[in-house]
Amino acid sequence: MKAWEELISSSFYEATARQRAHGLVDAGTFNELGGPNKRLKSPHLPELGEAVSFDDGVVTGVGRIGARPVFVISQEGRFIGGAVGEVGGAKTTAIFQMALRLHDKIAKKYPEDASLRAPAIIYSFETGGVRLHEANAGLLAHAEQMELIQECRGKVPVISLIGSKVGCFGGMGFVSISTDVVVMSELGRIGLTGPEVIEQEMGKKEFDSSDRALIYRTTGGKHKTIMRDCSFLVDDTIGAFRDQVKTLLNMPYEQLKKYRSIGSLKLVQEQLSLVALAAVLQPKDSTDVWAHFGNDNPEGIPDMELEEFCRKAKLRHREVE
Amino acid sequence: MDYQVILNGETYNVAIEEIDAHEEPIKAAAPMPQATAPAIGRSAEHIRQKPGKWNILHQDRVQRMQAAARLVQAGKIVDADNTVALIETIIKPGDKVNVEGNNQKQADFLSECLSLVDPSKIHDLHIVQSSIALKEHLDIFEKGIAKKLDFSFSGPQADRLARFIHEGKVELGSIHTYMELFGRYFIDLTPRVALVAAYQADKNGNLYTGFNTEDTPVIVEATRFKQGIVVAQVNEIVDELPRVDIPGDWVDFVVQSPRLFYVEPLFTRDPALISDAQVLRAMMAIKGIYAEYGIQRVNHGIGFDTAAIELLLPTYGEELGLKGKICTHFALNPHPTLIPAIESGWVSSIHCFGGELGMEEYIQNRPDIFFTGPDGTLRSNRAYGQMAGHYALDMFIGGTLQIDRFGNSSTATMDRISGFGGAPNMGTDAGGRRHASNAWLKCGDEYGMKAQLTGDMPRGKKLVVQLQETFREKMAPGIVDRLDAWDLAKKAGLPLPPVMIYGDDLTHLVTEEGIAYLHRCADIEERTAAIQAVAGYTDVGLEANESKTRELRQRGLVRTPEDLKIDTSRANRSMLAARSVRDLVRWSGGLYHPPARFKNW
Repeated sequence: MKAWEELISSSFYEATARQRAHGLVDAGTFNELGGPNKRLKSPHLPELGEAVSFDDGVVTGVGRIGARPVFVISQEGRFIGGAVGEVGGAKTTAIFQMALRLHDKIAKKYPEDASLRAPAIIYSFETGGVRLHEANAGLLAHAEQMELIQECRGKVPVISLIGSKVGCFGGMGFVSISTDVVVMSELGRIGLTGPEVIEQEMGKKEFDSSDRALIYRTTGGKHKTIMRDCSFLVDDTIGAFRDQVKTLLNMPYEQLKKYRSIGSLKLVQEQLSLVALAAVLQPKDSTDVWAHFGNDNPEGIPDMELEEFCRKAKLRHREVE
Repeated sequence: MDYQVILNGETYNVAIEEIDAHEEPIKAAAPMPQATAPAIGRSAEHIRQKPGKWNILHQDRVQRMQAAARLVQAGKIVDADNTVALIETIIKPGDKVNVEGNNQKQADFLSECLSLVDPSKIHDLHIVQSSIALKEHLDIFEKGIAKKLDFSFSGPQADRLARFIHEGKVELGSIHTYMELFGRYFIDLTPRVALVAAYQADKNGNLYTGFNTEDTPVIVEATRFKQGIVVAQVNEIVDELPRVDIPGDWVDFVVQSPRLFYVEPLFTRDPALISDAQVLRAMMAIKGIYAEYGIQRVNHGIGFDTAAIELLLPTYGEELGLKGKICTHFALNPHPTLIPAIESGWVSSIHCFGGELGMEEYIQNRPDIFFTGPDGTLRSNRAYGQMAGHYALDMFIGGTLQIDRFGNSSTATMDRISGFGGAPNMGTDAGGRRHASNAWLKCGDEYGMKAQLTGDMPRGKKLVVQLQETFREKMAPGIVDRLDAWDLAKKAGLPLPPVMIYGDDLTHLVTEEGIAYLHRCADIEERTAAIQAVAGYTDVGLEANESKTRELRQRGLVRTPEDLKIDTSRANRSMLAARSVRDLVRWSGGLYHPPARFKNW
């Protein structure tokens, strides 16, 4: 493992799940729970002649940022594309449950300022969604996590961090967007159906999966920021993600929850109005949508550096503030 | 007039109507010649001259040109819709035909049209072209339009080609290197008809081949100067060209293709995909070879290992104080990964074999570095690039698929005939070289077998370096007891296994275990011991004798990262001057425009 100071300045995109976990919380505070030495591995993969990983592709644990306990879930794309299986899913839900129990204890002990002492969950996604080798268990894990995210509301802030190689696809695309806040880098990607699958099902004319620029225009951090699915776009370093998390943890919960994309009737109506807009606008490319939201030179947006983008890009107006 | 014609090895006397050979009758209104042009059913080169008759090829050309005159519009322009008819008119059964298939640029529309001709009219062609890259290049063999093939490189069609040869659909002449095949264009494989590609033409047939000039000059010159016929497909027909790369009087017909010709971005390596192991090998090569010999003039093979070296020059190279001492002159395609080194002032000159998509504007703005024309754009020329790479470099360095215990290496696998391209001309010691350089002299001085071969006569030696992982993807060993090339040769009936670089040319082998300085070895046993010493846990490596390896290390025939005093903990991606394509764009000041498939933004 690199020294913590070195982790902070290194690329989030290239970092392993464990490097992200260590670097996101304060130096030396990360305690891995259910780590490789516990040999929590998939019982299904050996049946299919596939290799296992002793952490089943997800690093889970707890650390601190300042005084706050911060639970960490960090998916590893190098193992079966970060796909969610039974054991990794169980480790993840266990983290949610631990965070909720700790919250209840703290709330009891410090009823006045529980919200600034309560634990938070940061979830570093790198996944293609369900692990097809154990799809039922993987799907159940998705459902459990969606439910636990709802249980966390008003108690434990849940923050999605997306900027790793694999991106965040499949059912996990839903899970990530159901949290309180989404933080991305330009290199992060969120989507439901992956580019290759779209091309396979609908043809190259509909979506050319070899066109990486198209993929990024459609699923990348800048697009998700303009669409307001992502609330904060940061540099591609572990430190930049960490700084954003620190800022969010210092916010009162009432402010934090404003970044949600779903979770109320009004928010759902706002999402539905976007579907209606798509039907009217019939966009051929994301650039059409960017132009619709008032960007004069949509073709120039991909080439903008982060600072220029944050200064110049016009974002979709949110109905629910 | 009577001429002798040889058909299937038998000689016939055939009468051909006399034609006035002094006039080149390409006129739009020219009537169809009577006597339906060539009375012979075979290629004109089968005509044996009677003494005193010296312009039969020219007469045959004139007949073909006359027959095609009805298809010509203004100047030399033929409508795209008439291209199949044109090809059926100017090509005869048995002709040697070149369909310009380069490493990068493809005459894809003409190739498609050739595959649509009537096989009862056009058949048994002998295809002579450097690269078999498109499906249509082989379709013509399936349809019986073509029969025999002489080529250099097959890349994406390698498995289908192997199958066709096995099934007898392709009669294989030889597999060449580029320069070797170009040479034969001027000796015994001269095309009767060449179908080439250019960016632009004017109505007089002048061509602008620009960045991707590649093989065009060689093909056109060999064809046209032996009375053959040249057809060019172009992306657009303009009134004025940026510059003339091929003079119009060497070109007979121009077709505006309905689509832009295909160019493969073959030399773009995404820095994001470079591994830590590649960084380690690159550090070893820079310290143990480039610095040790002071390599200034070099060619880098295509691949991530050499991309890593390029990206370490402004970081690790700078740290070792090597700027200006190594890597000043290149024979190299415009590798985007070289941008940081160029921008940091490492490089004086680069001559390119071909172009590279997205590098156009960058090259145009760096005219001191690249060879650009009066119009400011790059002109590549593969023949000159190969010549320069063969004679004027002190080192070739690149990767391969398999190396055997003797140092022979090959990219051939059992079911693919991928050919050679240009690497063997780079990866060989040019016997005709006579000029000296420090690197060349030092390597020659160290040559362990020199005394047995040339006595006390001083002679230099080119460095030929292979970078190899002991285990490649899917745990396939990179160093093997016996090359797969042997099995391929047997299966495809080749006269010899296709070897990319022969062991006697290889001077250095770099693996993550160490560098073997093979040319310093005294005999083949010692060479094998040095290869075993750096072969890691492969079967070849497991045969290494520990005490022999120790001895080789002491004598400097093998050096590990430790011997080279390289801190392996530093060998990771953070050493790279650019870690993504986006970084390369930033280094270029926005002048590099990568193709969409390489953009992750």
